[in-house]
Amino acid sequence: MDAKLKETILNPIFKGNPITVLVLGICSSLAVTVTLKGALVMTLSVIVVCGISSLILSLLRNTIPGRVRIIVQLVVVAMMVILVDQILKSFEATYAIDKQLSVYIGLIITNCIVMGRIEAFALGNKPWPSFLDGVANGAGYGLILLVVAFFRELLGSGTLFGVDILGRFGYVPNNLVILPPFALILLGCIVWAQRAVQKDLQEK
Amino acid sequence: MNTNNNVYTVIYTTAIVVVVAALLAFVSQSLKARQEANEKAETISQMLTSAQYGSKAEIDLLSNNQKLDKYAQEIDQAFLIDREGNVVDSLSIDREDLKVYGPKELKRENYNIKGGANATGDAHIPVFIFKNGRTVVPIYGAGLWGPIWGYISFEADKATIGGAYFDHESETAGLGSKIKDDPSFQAEFVGEKADFSSPNVFDIVKGGAPKDADGKSVTDNKIDAITGATMTSQGLDAAIDTWLAAYAKYFTANAPKKEHCGNCQHGHQHGGHGEHGEEGGHHHHHQHEEE
Amino acid sequence: MEYLSLFVKSIFVDNMIFAYFLGMCSFLAVSKNVKTAAGLGIAVIFVLLVTLPINYLLNRYVLAPDALIQGVDLSFLSFIVFIAVIAAIVQIVEMVVEKFSPELYSSLGIFLPLIAVNCAILGGSLFMQQKDFLNIGEAVVYSLGSGLGWFLAIVALAAIREKMSYSHVPDPLKGLGITFITVGLMGLAFMTFMGISL
Repeated sequence: MDAKLKETILNPIFKGNPITVLVLGICSSLAVTVTLKGALVMTLSVIVVCGISSLILSLLRNTIPGRVRIIVQLVVVAMMVILVDQILKSFEATYAIDKQLSVYIGLIITNCIVMGRIEAFALGNKPWPSFLDGVANGAGYGLILLVVAFFRELLGSGTLFGVDILGRFGYVPNNLVILPPFALILLGCIVWAQRAVQKDLQEK
Repeated sequence: MNTNNNVYTVIYTTAIVVVVAALLAFVSQSLKARQEANEKAETISQMLTSAQYGSKAEIDLLSNNQKLDKYAQEIDQAFLIDREGNVVDSLSIDREDLKVYGPKELKRENYNIKGGANATGDAHIPVFIFKNGRTVVPIYGAGLWGPIWGYISFEADKATIGGAYFDHESETAGLGSKIKDDPSFQAEFVGEKADFSSPNVFDIVKGGAPKDADGKSVTDNKIDAITGATMTSQGLDAAIDTWLAAYAKYFTANAPKKEHCGNCQHGHQHGGHGEHGEEGGHHHHHQHEEE
Repeated sequence: MEYLSLFVKSIFVDNMIFAYFLGMCSFLAVSKNVKTAAGLGIAVIFVLLVTLPINYLLNRYVLAPDALIQGVDLSFLSFIVFIAVIAAIVQIVEMVVEKFSPELYSSLGIFLPLIAVNCAILGGSLFMQQKDFLNIGEAVVYSLGSGLGWFLAIVALAAIREKMSYSHVPDPLKGLGITFITVGLMGLAFMTFMGISL
């Protein structure tokens, strides 16, 4: 794999992370990070939606009329989201998970990451790199989601993936951690940690 | 190619919309049967849980088909009643054509119970009687964020609660979602009695239902609210009251004849669960919402 | 009374930002000073006020089961219809404002494209679908209330951030980090409204 493709994949996961650096896609990251399972399903859905929408729009990029650009993008993304939602609902194994995500599946449509990457990358690049860029941004988003969900589930319910961990040691779950504001505070701490290491990201 | 031409823009947009809509309509139609099968199996699994055929986790080990088999095997009668308690229709219990009431149907009937602009007619509400003697009825209402619903089973005396299972669409995970995820909350219902003579058929009380020294609830129709989920608890309380009140005439009329002695002893022990003077304060606890 | 209760509730109790955390991206990006924050806030109020009632009517008379043709349930199309309405309205508003009031356009115009992808707008329509409003009046009141709530939130955060520029925040936490934490604490404060029922 050549260096540029590698950069396309690795950059969104760490240095140009969509959540902590580009500040995109915050809304859904708060709602689905109470449990690791929810965060994992959301991550996979966003990777699929983001990757395939980028691919489709990159294929169409030379035909899209400039004035209705946003509408065409939204229609394609919305189509992908509805497909993911319908497919999750259709299998016995994923049905329960789809119920849990409910409204937030719909909000993937306006997840700024998807639209942001299409606008910034897919419309100006060939299909294959666009697809990789979409997938990598979904993964970078998912990484933060999983870190936040790890702490929220561990401290908020004493479990990981529903398996009792801290409860065995007499830990009393902290309800504050389950509340959405705590996810923001946790995100603030993640940003803090990342910028303490990568000093070039610091703001004046 | 000039992509900014008006005609091109209109044709392009129309084409995209038509293609996308056609694709989605096709997918939605072809997956519809599977989705409905999943919904039905889930509803059945919730009813079986409430009728105490096992915990939700145990029942969910079964495949969809096995759940339907189990239900068809255990169901005795299923029918619709009106608010006067009269049977108005029967519900199929044939394995190939099982009729159950999931959230979609319950939502419709909830409008009908409450009346108003969204009502489509008189409320026809379902009753499911299982072979183990338990009668399962649904409830439906609004939680903090979205709809909540569930199934409550009654013992053969048509007053004592045998089990309960609740579900929700979007309550706060870890707090309000405990109505679904916390078996110990659902277990609190077991052994309680619904008071069909009062509009407060059942109470979910913030600040604790009265308890004896062993931590057992001493009142018949009160249990503890979920800590940190007051709005969800209140919503559940209202949903249960609304729905069970609609069933009140049916349950009162179909209760087995009272055995005089056993009942009066009971009445003394749990002195006056219909009076609200003493516990009245609990209903008006306006503490800060933690959820 | 019903309307007043719904109005107050949608501003404070069901606040789009602090209760649902919707529209966070532009909320964080455009809250560095009060003036631009207020501009975006007004744009959100306006777009919500226009799109939500339209989507309400579409949902009620076209998408809901049995609404258009007996036995046809088009609700699987609701995401796509809602978002298309929002994108189209935003585009139209942008063109109209540009033509008739260049002044307003120069202050408001830059925010309009941002709004099409603002989750609060789509979120408003999705919650409207979930809440089953009885009539269009309720939908209008709800959209106005949610918009005002969003406006209030972004102006409040912008004011705090303006003040915060005089504080000594650790370097790695400056900017985004401390903003996240501030919003978290504001969210906790807003939770006190939750027990209120009118």
